Amino acid sequence: MLFNSLDFFIFLPIVFVLYWFIFYKKLQIQNFFILTASYIFYGLWDWRFLFLILASTLVDFFVGKAIHSSDTNRMRKSWLWVSIIFNIGLLGFFKYYNFFIGSWVDFLSFFGYELKSTWTLQIILPVGISFYTFQTMSYSLDIYYKRLTPTKNFIAFATFVSFFPQLVAGPIERASNLLSQITTKRLFNYIQCTEGLKLILWGLFKKVVIADSIAPIVDDIFANYSDYPASTLILGVSLFSFQVYGDFSGYSDIAIGTAKLFGIELMSNFKFPTFSRNVAEYWQRWHVSLSTWFRHYVYIPLGGNRVGKLKSIRNIIIIFLVSGFWHGANWTFIIWGAIHALLYIPVFLMGRNRIYMNTVVAENKWFPSIKEIAQILLTFSLVTFSRVFFRSESISDAFGFLQQICSDFTYKNYQHPLGYRMIDYFILLGIFILYEFRIRRDERSPFKFKSRITRFLAYTLVILGMLLFFDDNIDRSFIYFQF
Amino acid sequence: MKKLILKSVLYAFLILITLEGLVRVFHLGKDTPTRFLDEHKVEKWKPNQNGFSVTGNRRQNFSEYHINTSGFNSYREFNPTKEKTEIALVGDSFIEGFHQNYYNSIGKKIEKSIPEIEVYEYGYAGYDFADQLHLTHAYKEQFLLIDHIILGIKFSNDLNRGEYDVVNSRLALESPMNKLLKKSKLLVYAKSIGILDPPQELVYRIISIIKSKPKKKPIDELEASRIKEANEKKYLANFENLISKYGYDKQRYTLLLDSRITSTFFLSYLEKNDFNYIDFASSFEASDRPTTLIYDRHWNNHGRELIAQLISKYINKKQLKSGQ
Repeated sequence: MLFNSLDFFIFLPIVFVLYWFIFYKKLQIQNFFILTASYIFYGLWDWRFLFLILASTLVDFFVGKAIHSSDTNRMRKSWLWVSIIFNIGLLGFFKYYNFFIGSWVDFLSFFGYELKSTWTLQIILPVGISFYTFQTMSYSLDIYYKRLTPTKNFIAFATFVSFFPQLVAGPIERASNLLSQITTKRLFNYIQCTEGLKLILWGLFKKVVIADSIAPIVDDIFANYSDYPASTLILGVSLFSFQVYGDFSGYSDIAIGTAKLFGIELMSNFKFPTFSRNVAEYWQRWHVSLSTWFRHYVYIPLGGNRVGKLKSIRNIIIIFLVSGFWHGANWTFIIWGAIHALLYIPVFLMGRNRIYMNTVVAENKWFPSIKEIAQILLTFSLVTFSRVFFRSESISDAFGFLQQICSDFTYKNYQHPLGYRMIDYFILLGIFILYEFRIRRDERSPFKFKSRITRFLAYTLVILGMLLFFDDNIDRSFIYFQF
Repeated sequence: MKKLILKSVLYAFLILITLEGLVRVFHLGKDTPTRFLDEHKVEKWKPNQNGFSVTGNRRQNFSEYHINTSGFNSYREFNPTKEKTEIALVGDSFIEGFHQNYYNSIGKKIEKSIPEIEVYEYGYAGYDFADQLHLTHAYKEQFLLIDHIILGIKFSNDLNRGEYDVVNSRLALESPMNKLLKKSKLLVYAKSIGILDPPQELVYRIISIIKSKPKKKPIDELEASRIKEANEKKYLANFENLISKYGYDKQRYTLLLDSRITSTFFLSYLEKNDFNYIDFASSFEASDRPTTLIYDRHWNNHGRELIAQLISKYINKKQLKSGQ
């Protein structure tokens, strides 16, 4: 069930009304109802994969208990490995099995051993598997690191794993934030609900108006890159940057907004990464839940930056490569991760990786300085360059794309494949960037206007935007569902 | 909770009203002229209406129409006389031309090319061959004064019936309910860009679940070719039936068709029986520019230009200009 589908717009009000009018009296009932709704939500995609979620839930529920009750460190570690092997095993089989087999066959053929790839399987990738396996693992890891005591309430734990607003594409929550809310009775809060509705509206705008309307242009340019000059290819990959941002941050906003309707606060996942002043700041603002997951459970256990310079660099390379690989079973994602590692390391070595941690661009000012604009443009360009690999189907396509930019460095007017005026999109993106700049201080309040009339006009214009850019014929699924 | 529900309803209502206003101000929704059935049981537009036809979101295509006193989209009135030379173009939405300003229609383009003649465009969306011949028959006196009549025909679409009958499903679009719904430009716009398709599909889905229909058997190649052959025979029989019932003057009547989508069986029938036709296939194929709109299969300005050129050439060849 997609957030931008009619099914969801029928499902959500029904669940909301039942939740607050019928199943609100007891915490256990609230949780059981949310759990049922979440399983229905997921089961409508493919009910068979509910067993995977259930298995992952059962394993970590009992592993968490076992880790907690183990007397020795060795036992604790052994139980932790059970969780890691099970969850990574699930991921490995469903997401990476064919990739490993294919890569092995390619590797052998490089040395002259021709092998027919008869071991590959027709495997369907279960939606959201990368997200919920990481979420359940975080529970066992937190218990192992003694940051958390295991819950005795299985229903609450199962609800934590499968909470439908964030089940299929995050934010990847940690038990310390989400499970603690699930084990506390939720009370209806008017302000929280209206904030949720506003976030849903803004998320839909980003998805329908920004991401979906740009998608046909990006698809066309990447599919036919050899026919286009550099100007068009640069336009294509730049638009992809906005598409993927609109798509994923739109999804996250809808997820956070929906959770608010049920009295749950999820963590922020995007904090206006477009306005990042260097790559380190970008990673503090882009897909925050995944970056923090890797920081807490991979980077810091490896020693983080408290080890020597060389080891720190090794740790940075590891987390970016793993992060790239997490996105998909394709070498393009690994190269994408490697590029980010290469972009991050100089910033780290210069000691500038934490300087923008708690500030926003043009802090206490109306406009950014020339220096800030230059920094933002440079960061955007570097990140956008890496997205050639993120978006391309294969490495040869990615290099072909870059080669075409270099070999045909000319400008030519680009015609929209569906006949729309291109100027509409440039105006749209211009307005979008200015508006995001205006609201850059608080990603959770997209309609923060004192005047009620201004607020009303903003809602109306956002809906008008959806009416103007809605296209019935395009694929409306979310990009990150494939991960 | 009560406050949330009340405020949500109020906001939704106010936003809808504002959006209705904005859609009207920016003219995003199309105007639809009113249909009617005249005393000869000919379906046409109510005379003397003006408006704008809009396609797609953000006014991808925006054109003005003008329904004349005869009930068709044209910049001129239809007053045929013996003295003047007139050409009638009869057909469906392609001839009707709501996708182009009425003052830049195919007829107008032909008149620019041959100033001595008047072109009357009897185009109406959905007209098939039965509608066309019924029209020429019902307004026989008028059509007898017209020097030449060109009938647009799509073999696989326009010969589904062998006799004219009023198409009630089209006229049902003028039901009080539909008229009321059309008053909301926001609704018209939302429908035209497909926002209302998912709820409609949902209703159909529910209906199909309730009324579970037996699954259609897959058709093999042999069966498909047998069906095609039977259809071709049926279409030809319908063609013959229609021309014998309503009359067809081979000297004055010409068919306008695209041989790429016309059965060779029908084309050889036309040639064998001396039916004149203008085939625009090769002209469209040779064009270095698109001939149809990107978001719509109707002819664009260039396509219309090519059609006008072909008709003008045909008229010149036939020496139909006055005094010739």
